[in-house]
Amino acid sequence: MSANTTLTLDGRSVSCDEGETLLDVARRCDVAIPTLCHDPRLSAAGTCRMCLVEIAGWPRLAPACATPAKAGLVVETSSERVLRHRRALLALYAVEHPADEARREDELASLLAAGDLPDLGRSAPLRAGRPANDDPYIRYDAERCILCGQCVRYCDEVVGVAALTLADRGARTTVTTADDLPLAETTCELCGGCVAVCPTGALIERSFAERAAKASVELERTRTTCNYCGVGCQLDLHVDPRGRDGLGEIVRVTPPPPGQTTGDGNLCVKGRFGFEFLHHPDRLTTPLIRDDDGALQPASWDEALARTAQGLRGVAERHGPDALGFVSSSRCTVEENYLVQKLARAVFGTHNVHQCAAT
Amino acid sequence: MTRRGPASVPDRIAAAGGLRAGVARRVARETGAPEATVYGVGSFYHLLSEPDTQLRICQGLSCSLAGASEALAAARAAGHRAEGCSCLAACDAAPTGLQERELQPRLDPYAGAWTRHVGPERDPDSQAIDLAGPPSWDCVAFAKAMAAGTDGVLAELERAGLQGRGGAGFPAHVKWRAVAAESREPKFVVLNADEGEPGTFKDREVLLRRPDRVLEGLAIAALTVGARDVYLYLRGAFASALELLSSCAEQAPFEDVSFHLRTGHGAYICGEETALLEALEGRRGMPRLKPPYPTERGLFGDPTLVHNVETIACVPAIVARGGAWFREQGRTEPGTKLFSVSGHVRRPGVYELPLGVSLDELVAAAGGYEGELKAFSPGGASSGFLPAAARSLPLSFGAMADAGSLLGSAGVVVLNDTVDMGRAALAGLRFFEEECCGQCAPCRIGTRWLRERLEQHLAGDAGALDGLGEVAWELREGSICGLGQVAAAPLTSVLKHFPEELEP
Repeated sequence: MSANTTLTLDGRSVSCDEGETLLDVARRCDVAIPTLCHDPRLSAAGTCRMCLVEIAGWPRLAPACATPAKAGLVVETSSERVLRHRRALLALYAVEHPADEARREDELASLLAAGDLPDLGRSAPLRAGRPANDDPYIRYDAERCILCGQCVRYCDEVVGVAALTLADRGARTTVTTADDLPLAETTCELCGGCVAVCPTGALIERSFAERAAKASVELERTRTTCNYCGVGCQLDLHVDPRGRDGLGEIVRVTPPPPGQTTGDGNLCVKGRFGFEFLHHPDRLTTPLIRDDDGALQPASWDEALARTAQGLRGVAERHGPDALGFVSSSRCTVEENYLVQKLARAVFGTHNVHQCAAT
Repeated sequence: MTRRGPASVPDRIAAAGGLRAGVARRVARETGAPEATVYGVGSFYHLLSEPDTQLRICQGLSCSLAGASEALAAARAAGHRAEGCSCLAACDAAPTGLQERELQPRLDPYAGAWTRHVGPERDPDSQAIDLAGPPSWDCVAFAKAMAAGTDGVLAELERAGLQGRGGAGFPAHVKWRAVAAESREPKFVVLNADEGEPGTFKDREVLLRRPDRVLEGLAIAALTVGARDVYLYLRGAFASALELLSSCAEQAPFEDVSFHLRTGHGAYICGEETALLEALEGRRGMPRLKPPYPTERGLFGDPTLVHNVETIACVPAIVARGGAWFREQGRTEPGTKLFSVSGHVRRPGVYELPLGVSLDELVAAAGGYEGELKAFSPGGASSGFLPAAARSLPLSFGAMADAGSLLGSAGVVVLNDTVDMGRAALAGLRFFEEECCGQCAPCRIGTRWLRERLEQHLAGDAGALDGLGEVAWELREGSICGLGQVAAAPLTSVLKHFPEELEP
């Protein structure tokens, strides 16, 4: 399908395929072009203007994210004109972007910090007075927002929910819901994908933001598999090593970036926000076995498994294998479900096996 | 005009009395569009998003010169819920208001009769549009176009050298050929009647006086490029023109062409052709990235010919009298041109004169100057200001570009020596900030920066305009559409031609 042709990128002749944009080609060739409104899962918006490049013979600079790579184009990604544009554009962003609490994950802040920018002063906040955002999981700070629209496009194009919109216009443009309703009163599923795509932290996990506001700690990351269901989404747990008296505390969960794992950068509300139980004092941390008086006592896994096996075998011996039934959880993976039916059929000899999500 | 689906969202919000609480959810249920999307659309258009405003009073330059801010204060003092608004395309009746989508000319404090002047003397042999002429439905040009066929009409159009009259001056035949050459169906013709450039009100007169020219031109265009459906997008303030066009369209004798009339809801940016297409599709009027151009991907993604009212209205005369005749009517460029003239002239109005006429000749047709000429805008806010010394330059696309300005839509605003150029620049900057769609960063941030910094400068803050050069450069280079690209012109042109007026 791919008609292999070549274009010129910063003086180099490089190949390009049908359907690729200039940004695709540049990234494949390790040519860095900054972006603030681009996500490979979303339609190109071309509105942040960070990725403008110069194309020979074109009167205007063109957004690399939205310009199809075509044979013969002569593209400059860091000509004097492009670099001047980037500096001027960033200087304009700096006019409105709060400089007070720079966050590591604020992509705009890192671009601002890296550039030698003309000083255009600062403008007063404009969108203060918007309805307070009381959503328990997600916080929106209109003044941090650069209207890249990734959250709006993600909610519409990836989740299919379209709970968010750009509203008002001009300098007052903002991101909101219908009638400025709280997210919980809209079609929002609280998946938090809007938080994940936000390049400035304007949309952010509320608990994480409140914690980060108190203390800045270098967080450790651990990749794991979400165990809420069998899909197997990968999670990155962000751990504060000093939390819980040095035991470590999970303070945030994010998906690996798009394209790296099968989840493609997406998570649901449970995987992203449902981790507070992890450190709850009532949470079971060891198996429990009832003693002769019926009271639950902590036990090792070996003890607990031996006790379970003993009980199951006893029933099978006294009443036959069909007196047993096995039900597995929808939180199990397909492999674990396979093993449960193997246990039922091959070890105990019964077909009485079920999985709770199968009905 | 019953419409279904998401394209009907703005009209349904209007029918519900504007974007009040609960309306987004109701319209979402009716149309199948997500409620947030509906809310986003409603909040974009001022005639929808501010349902409690009773009276809007234009704060454009011509209206300001005629006492618009006093009129606003008076309206409020009289207990009206009144707001300022951008140009209402009635600069010849300044100061103008808008009540329920009906223009209210000559508001207090200068209330008086409004005579809608057109000129100069009627001469159908040298005027392509002939505003003073009686509407005629004999359809001679349409019949001639039918006989000539696509190639014949295209050849005539090219011979005429007709340039787009909306502001860009792009050769019309190139667009027509591009759409005619598309093999994809359906194709559309779209009339851009969202006139809103401050100082411009010519299309209003064409629609009201010569609906015959407009509909016949559209029918010829549709026939030539292979379209059946023609959409007419009139700005929200043109309620009476909408009514007139609707009844004319019903009776128009053009078989095989369906006219669909649509009304805007208050957003200057929808005069940008791709923003207009977005609005027609029922979305926020934010310009699309170009390329692809509408000739390739226009309305609903299909090949579309978009033209300004005046451009289309030139077509019947070009077909009837021949392209060569049209070309000869121009002085330095082909054809006649409608000039909206307002500000300090004796008889503001719309004047059809050869392209290339000078300001002095134009103003002579408009009854002469009021006071001593100091500056003028040849093409509304987008063109910035030229000094009195430019009064004898040809008013044409090329000559104005050479002078560092624009002919644009030829909304000529004349300023005499009573005008403070700093204030005049501020009116232009305010307009662009107010009408910026907000999608791209250079324009959204830059238009606000310009207005704020000029205000600070005028208030005596000496360093307020530091960095202006970079901001103006970036607006031109980085903005998506034409609004951002010209948004600094009111200020940069005053700094260039009247630097002494901005000295601290």
